[in-house]
Amino acid sequence: MSENLCPKVKMSSEDWDPDVITRMIILGPGARVSESEIVGEFHMLGLPLTIKNTCYGSMISGKKEDVYKAIKEIRKLDPAHIFTKERGFAPGDPRRCRGHRFGPREGFHQMEKEYTILGYVAEALENPKEVTVEEKKPIKVDEFKKIMDECLEK
Amino acid sequence: MVKIALVSCGTEYSGIQKEIEKAANKFGAEIILPEIDLDYIDESYEKFGFSAQSSSLKLMIARAMAIVEGRSNPDAVFIATCFRCAEAALVRNEVRRFIQNNTRIPVVTYSFTERTKADELFIRMEALATTVTRRSILAREKQEGLTLGLDSGSTTTKAVLMENNEVIGTGWTSTKDIIESAKTAAAEAFSQTDYGWDDVDGIGTTGYGRFTMGEEFKAELIQEELSVNAKGAVYLADCQKGEATVLDIGGMDNKVITVNNGIPDNFTMGGICAGASGRFLDMTSRRLDVDITELGPLAVQGDWRRAMLNSYCIVFGIQDLVTTLAAGGSKADVAAAACHSVSEQVYEQQLQEIDIREPLIQVGGTSLISGLVEAVSETLGGIEVIVPEYSQHIGAVGAALLVSGMGHRQDNK
Amino acid sequence: MVKIAIYPPNSLILADLLERKGHTPLVLQKQIREKIKDPEIDSPPMNITEEDPIKGLKYAAIEVPSGVRGRMSIIGPLIDEAEAAIVVDGAPYGFGCIGCARTNELSIFLLRNKGIPVLELKYPDNQDETYVMVNKINEFVDSLEEATEEE
Repeated sequence: MSENLCPKVKMSSEDWDPDVITRMIILGPGARVSESEIVGEFHMLGLPLTIKNTCYGSMISGKKEDVYKAIKEIRKLDPAHIFTKERGFAPGDPRRCRGHRFGPREGFHQMEKEYTILGYVAEALENPKEVTVEEKKPIKVDEFKKIMDECLEK
Repeated sequence: MVKIALVSCGTEYSGIQKEIEKAANKFGAEIILPEIDLDYIDESYEKFGFSAQSSSLKLMIARAMAIVEGRSNPDAVFIATCFRCAEAALVRNEVRRFIQNNTRIPVVTYSFTERTKADELFIRMEALATTVTRRSILAREKQEGLTLGLDSGSTTTKAVLMENNEVIGTGWTSTKDIIESAKTAAAEAFSQTDYGWDDVDGIGTTGYGRFTMGEEFKAELIQEELSVNAKGAVYLADCQKGEATVLDIGGMDNKVITVNNGIPDNFTMGGICAGASGRFLDMTSRRLDVDITELGPLAVQGDWRRAMLNSYCIVFGIQDLVTTLAAGGSKADVAAAACHSVSEQVYEQQLQEIDIREPLIQVGGTSLISGLVEAVSETLGGIEVIVPEYSQHIGAVGAALLVSGMGHRQDNK
Repeated sequence: MVKIAIYPPNSLILADLLERKGHTPLVLQKQIREKIKDPEIDSPPMNITEEDPIKGLKYAAIEVPSGVRGRMSIIGPLIDEAEAAIVVDGAPYGFGCIGCARTNELSIFLLRNKGIPVLELKYPDNQDETYVMVNKINEFVDSLEEATEEE
């Protein structure tokens, strides 16, 4: 397999249609549905979509209105834990697919990091409450001096 | 296929990704990206110790680390960042040093714009690809046997005959027909010895006409001028180990090559301004009615500050020099001002693009103009400038050196 | 419905929270899709050609590195379209389009300087901070709705 960065792009006519969009569905930690249930539900909707299971959830591709309709329905399964995001490249596009092109995908690492707080976001969505967080301020000079003196005396 | 790792903060955002790929493919190489994960990026960024704000530079550092630590095993590395980005230029140079100090993988660096010229990329990729496939040849530090080096440049053709690590004959002629000029230059070189075409062990060609000459003379080595000039310069200047910069202010264009252990790793070439070329000095010497060989010593006696020069331009600048002469200014001051002007203009146009490493080895015909060499040193803050013997024949010396050991014409007879 | 620019422009959480509230997040991926679905793929993978850094001149001068201008040609139109903005400081870093600090500095400045409502947040480290972020975004979005209704 070529590791070249610029593979020849051979895609179906649907992939080139500007009205066809792709979305990623990501399940936050503690989700009450599984990835396969999500995929099953997508199939049950009977919409003309391309549905793919991935390591982070699933990916759907199709006409804009169908995709939005499907997302709206899917969210109902577990509103707080299902997150979705746009994807520029169609599923399996050789220009972005890890199978073809080595090295990290531009947006992948950010998603990886954001995933770590998805549980908190879900919690905040599910049980809204007012929280105040104390803002950290730099230590006062006198205080700093006092601590410094103490450390030096030791 | 030669695998070239791309270590960059985002060549595709300048719209030049395709150009890079094309250049690599042309020389039988392909571009790859070292595969790394997020933890490794954080880990290697911390280990490297350069606090870059741009995350793509962190990625760049991590890719370099992956190469040094052997997670990725490319044959060569191409390090590229945007021209005029200070943050990226700092990281580019440190990453370059890091890879060179810790591996034997050849590296070429480049600072690009959206207007990156294909030929600048081509010559870099050719140099990288040939460095990989001809590593053993480039490692040659001593000339053996009897070899002929031919350098067909855009204005002049040079020939050098070497035997047992010594230059024994040189030839020089202006380039007209490539083959005829090469024959003329070679004949001049042979005439200084008892040898003829039939006596040589091997022939190496370089310069713009390298392919045409190579075919005609069945050369054992046909090599781009980047590697050859760099090699010739460090050989003649006795700087084969460590770092150096090779500067060639030519009649039409200029080259600046940075070298690490005899192998070039960056390069800039320009040819848009006659005011930054030997042509300016040629014009000056004619106006002063002195031979070009006298211009240098004359300039050394003068002081450029005493000659009024408001323009670097070959038209307006020369006019200023004439005005100075008419007002009673000395020829020496005018000569010094011309040298100073060319050196400043080379600095403005090219030296800023590259990290200059000491010593600077000045080569090419203009290196014989002592006033210019002095001006270059002054422009660069008093840097050490070496002008080796035969500096005007640099490409031919490099070709004669590199081809030695490759040609076995006498054994085959 | 308000068009809200988000920074980082590819954030999953920001885009998702806005869509839940029925607004349109102006996200990078849509821009990318437009580029890469152009039938004339001149320059894979991103199909950014040498024309794009020139288009970026609208946002940054010629002396600015080509990579900044090339990125601005993608991010800039999102800023132009924005009716409000949410900027998160200290968000996990992405690469590619938003891997260049200079581009990010310029983009955020342009958003702040546009005279639209801007919410600035710090990326949360823990649960309480996440609550604060989600609450602030919801309040901000509600205030935008009120403002639109008043008009």
